[in-house]
Amino acid sequence: MAAEQKIRDYILQNFLFSQDQSLLNSTDSLLAKGIIDSTGVMEMITFLQEEFGITVEDSEMVPENLDSVNRISAFVARKQAAAGA
Amino acid sequence: MSESLVGFLRQSVTRCAEAAALVHGDRQISYGELWTHVEAFAGFLESEGIQPGDRVAMLMENSPEYVAAYYSILAAGGAAVALNTAVRAQDLSAWVTHCGARWLIADAGHPELPALLNQSPAPLRVITVGAGLAGEPRADAVRWDDVPSQSGSRRIASPADSALATIIYTSGTTGHPKGVMLSHRNLAANVRSILDYLPIDATDRAMNVLPFYYSYGNSVLHTHLAAGATLLLENSMVFPHRVLQIMADQRATSFAGVPSTYALLLNRTRLGDYDLGALRYLTQAGGPMAPALMRRLREALPNARLFVMYGQTEATARLAYLPAERLEEKMGSAGTAIPGVTIEIRGETGEILPPDQVGEICATGDNLMLGYWHDPEATVRVLIDGWLHTGDMAYRDAEGFLYIQGRRSDMIKTGAHRVNPREIEEAIIELDWVADVAVVGVDDDILGQVIKAVIVPRPGLAVDPMRVKAHCRERLATYKIPKFVEHANELPRTASGKVKRYLLAG
Repeated sequence: MAAEQKIRDYILQNFLFSQDQSLLNSTDSLLAKGIIDSTGVMEMITFLQEEFGITVEDSEMVPENLDSVNRISAFVARKQAAAGA
Repeated sequence: MSESLVGFLRQSVTRCAEAAALVHGDRQISYGELWTHVEAFAGFLESEGIQPGDRVAMLMENSPEYVAAYYSILAAGGAAVALNTAVRAQDLSAWVTHCGARWLIADAGHPELPALLNQSPAPLRVITVGAGLAGEPRADAVRWDDVPSQSGSRRIASPADSALATIIYTSGTTGHPKGVMLSHRNLAANVRSILDYLPIDATDRAMNVLPFYYSYGNSVLHTHLAAGATLLLENSMVFPHRVLQIMADQRATSFAGVPSTYALLLNRTRLGDYDLGALRYLTQAGGPMAPALMRRLREALPNARLFVMYGQTEATARLAYLPAERLEEKMGSAGTAIPGVTIEIRGETGEILPPDQVGEICATGDNLMLGYWHDPEATVRVLIDGWLHTGDMAYRDAEGFLYIQGRRSDMIKTGAHRVNPREIEEAIIELDWVADVAVVGVDDDILGQVIKAVIVPRPGLAVDPMRVKAHCRERLATYKIPKFVEHANELPRTASGKVKRYLLAG
């Protein structure tokens, strides 16, 4: 399964409690739409680290990396590319 | 009229018009600029025919516009009703209807705004702030940015001290909205008391992550503007590293938090990685913080004095505080009454109890609310002969320091929020396969408590946690969604039928 789909499914399952893909657009702000809170973002980081074998640094825990499905998948791809380089 | 929030702000404007009042992202708003906005919007409300005490609802995150809107409503003689932005349209609509607001100032991008406008039966004049993400606002909506050009006179109203200034809704149960009415005197008195004991001055640069629509954030806002200080705004703790980075970059001198805010900073960040050398003091309210967490906080930030504080929305915000220099000696105490407030511990029959005996905290002072909006019955249950009966149980030591032992009510404290379990039970019981349900708070390292729902399904049916959470998400604020959903064959009850919640909280 592509990374973006895994991320999307994780958010749907854990924060929207649904499998309905139409509930979440890839550009939706998780913060502005009230989808994720301060403990949720920590749970999601744990998921990203375990699922994709990346390490999320403190300085990377910012909305620019983590506030939408698109941003998260781009961030994961950058981390994986950097690790493989 | 003697002291008022608008009067305090005007004094700060006179003293330091050029100084920064608010910093929000890349924006910096001086006291002079803030006052210009306040006058302009007050003039607009006046041109709209606002009458003394008219309610103006606000659906806004913390922002310079929030601050300008709040003060302009007061300056026009109206009453500001800042709504909890985390709740769903159904609760928002109930509050707007309950308080009879004629105006609504809303962030155009708030996801619940379209549904709120659809559900609100009363004619409501809408003023939108910022760009809309959730579709077009009403055709007749006024844009905040267009207001200055429309404003008429710029007279600042002088309402009576005892006039209604704000309503803070503390409960979301649709059937029973509970709106705390605060007067101009209440707000000014609490600001004055807090400025008497907290070392806030015009050189302060205070980091605020608390929502202004709650009484703690509300008091942080008003005290700092009265002192001519600078407030650094960040709207949440979802990205705590960013908060710390702003504090370091902006040389923050103080920080206000609830226990979960500090738990997040201590457990989920590396405080030592940030230069917080300018930090002079921290404040903590919103429920008891574990002594172990408090000690870790002091070790992590040894140069920042820590003030533990206690209060209630019904007392505007603050009732007691523990001086930073007594913290170690009186660890676990909520301190003594703030200036202008008298506190007594009373027994079952109203008698004043001696030291070391547990009773109800009762308080009096100019900060006690006027009552609950349109709910005289609830008001007379807590305001008796000029005393607020807090429902909090405590004892005092020989020196008069308060030690809180618990609450009479079943309210769950999760993060910065107080949640009435009945509200969640009412939502869950709507599911047709649920026969019975009880909701309780269970201990959590970060949030203090998280929500657990124990459900008895109808015969032959099973509990489906995902369906329960999905239903709650549709109906309730995100922070009210149960973290745990468990099955039970029956609920433990007293002989009179009341659920024994404490047996479920494990």
